[in-house]
Amino acid sequence: MKKLKKFLIPAAIGSVCILAAGCSAGSSDGKTHLTFQIWDVAQRDGMQAICDAYTEKNPDVVIEVQVTSWTEYWTKLEAAAISNQMPDIFWMHTNEILKYADYGKIADLTDLYDEEDPEFFQKHYSEVSLKNIQGSDGRYYGVPKDKDTVGLVYNKEMFDAAGVSYPDETWTWDDLCEASQKIYDATGKYGYMAYGDDQLGYWNFVYQNGGYILAEDNITGGFDNPATLDAMRFYIDLQKNDWCPDQNYFAETSPGTAFFSGQGAMFFEGNWNVLSEMQNYPDMQGKWDVAVLPKCPNPASGDGRATISNGLCYATSPTGKNFEVVKDVLRFFGSEEGQRIQGESGAAIPAYQGLEQTWIDVFDQFDYRLNVECFVDMFEYSVQSVNNKYRSVWKPEVTENLLKIYSGQLSFEDGMAAIQDCIIRAAEDD
Amino acid sequence: MTGNKVYAGKRARSESMWGYLMIAPTIIGLLVLNIYPFFDTIKLSFSKTRPFGLYELRGIENYVKMFSSAEFWRANLNTIYFCILTVPLGIFLSLIVAVMLNTKIKGRVVFRAIFFLPMVVAPAAVAMVWKWMFNTEYGIINTLIGHKVNWITDPNIVMVTCAIVAVWSAIGYDAVLLLSGLQNISKSYYEAASLDGATKVQQFFHITLPMVSPTLFVVLIMRLMSSIKVYDLIYMLIEEANPAITSAQSLMYLFYRESFITGDRGLGSSVVIWTVALIGLVTAVQFWGQKKWVNYEV
Repeated sequence: MKKLKKFLIPAAIGSVCILAAGCSAGSSDGKTHLTFQIWDVAQRDGMQAICDAYTEKNPDVVIEVQVTSWTEYWTKLEAAAISNQMPDIFWMHTNEILKYADYGKIADLTDLYDEEDPEFFQKHYSEVSLKNIQGSDGRYYGVPKDKDTVGLVYNKEMFDAAGVSYPDETWTWDDLCEASQKIYDATGKYGYMAYGDDQLGYWNFVYQNGGYILAEDNITGGFDNPATLDAMRFYIDLQKNDWCPDQNYFAETSPGTAFFSGQGAMFFEGNWNVLSEMQNYPDMQGKWDVAVLPKCPNPASGDGRATISNGLCYATSPTGKNFEVVKDVLRFFGSEEGQRIQGESGAAIPAYQGLEQTWIDVFDQFDYRLNVECFVDMFEYSVQSVNNKYRSVWKPEVTENLLKIYSGQLSFEDGMAAIQDCIIRAAEDD
Repeated sequence: MTGNKVYAGKRARSESMWGYLMIAPTIIGLLVLNIYPFFDTIKLSFSKTRPFGLYELRGIENYVKMFSSAEFWRANLNTIYFCILTVPLGIFLSLIVAVMLNTKIKGRVVFRAIFFLPMVVAPAAVAMVWKWMFNTEYGIINTLIGHKVNWITDPNIVMVTCAIVAVWSAIGYDAVLLLSGLQNISKSYYEAASLDGATKVQQFFHITLPMVSPTLFVVLIMRLMSSIKVYDLIYMLIEEANPAITSAQSLMYLFYRESFITGDRGLGSSVVIWTVALIGLVTAVQFWGQKKWVNYEV
């Protein structure tokens, strides 16, 4: 027993010491250590480059970039927010920003550039970008990071085989269907793959037709608006064509997978995926390209053009102990230099206006140069990604009802009414 | 005398202290990771939850909402259906496998390892491979049967698909448990029976089955519990955009959806409490029923 004690007690003390040391490890070198949490491993190098540029000028600051997968990211961040241990800087998504802002978990950064230029945000960032960083109170809770649009990806070889000319800015929904039919007849492959997704699917059609997903009050849905309904009916009915796979197909094979394995000729894709698709499918290089979204031929209102634009931002906790240093880092992240580095790394289109070309130039590295300018051209008529505080509640229900319409379990009218109902109910239940 | 007694008491106390110290890591772990969250879940099930761990007590509001939701009853039916599909068939097949592995066939050890292998592989990997095999367009199963069955997206078939994967994954583990029960049966029973002219089939029903029934009972309880709690398999096989999701949503899947996708942890917690009650009830019924068929006499 004595011997055991002699062994156990130091062991116990030792392990406690190790634990304690693990918790308090850090700034013994007199520098400020910051953590920077992101979810996209493909952007790690780009983020590291921005941090390096900052720490080169400020050698007393060290920034560590940490990557967590998208699914774990939000669980972890919420837990960190509860225990007041949030990373010093982190990415914030429009899906979540309202929740974090309204509960005071992310800092109000409206005055970030006041000493430099009180109009800084308005001068350098678009209205859509600024809407994406606003809380419910209209103040800015982040520094815009990037902006994106949705484009039409098409397989050139299939167009050639069917003798159809490539999509361009004159294309309408009719051209989309016509080309799909011809390609299907000529090659037996699918045409446009109308996947029941929101951002990469029907939202674009609804706004092109002059409809809307959320009404002005940002609480009521738009699924009783005739323009919305017409666009929804058009989009859902696309699945009835032989040239369009049904939703059962998409449950097993995503449109991107189908496209890059040569099963379909067209699908909608966000610009953020295009670079990795060039890298991941080297055999497909030169066989596909991108174009602006086809427009609505006879919109209820507007010119028939729209694309959904979303954007991330950099955010921080209002109670972080390095708040002043973090604010300085964020000022750099939002400056022209910080945004330029991001664009040149190919990570994403900088939100900073006038730097779009830096992202476009990244595609010069490939033998076949994609027409990525089209993604930037679309900002002119882009629509802010749909969002309100209750989206996480209504989104699964909307998807479920939509799938029921697709599979015939619900009639179109009943399904749309159910969707309209669950959007308003999400707000009322709160 | 007295001094000796005091010494003995001291010694006993010191030993029991060491005993507590030794089990402390497990007990503390249990308290912090299991017991406390369990009571916390009960509390949350009576609360309206908000983001960032905020909540306010609201009485039985969540339960009223739960019991009046069609989705919840559908999840109950789905779970029961899943149990009916997996438990009897799974245990029957495991028993057959165990009996076969208990005979003197060549490469017995290799077969045992093969049957146990699914237990060692991560469930996520298992589901992934099955998903590819079940793929309607390009999967090996449809290619072999030469017919396009929507294994994963047809609402009428999707549960059968999940059950196939579940049974396949569980056979090995159950068979190994049953095998240990079989090996405890003394050979002399079989010798006596064959002297009396009993056939192999008669031996199975009159010797093997009664003798292995205590193990069978344990396996039954465990299999039924894990079938009621099925979640990871369905989560991996069925994506959110799957049209068949309402037919595949189990109770635990509903809990996950309410708690982590919709963010309503209160409602999610009441689903959990309901499931706990259901498992308790089913297990109690089994313990009562075992008197009728489980044989503890050797």
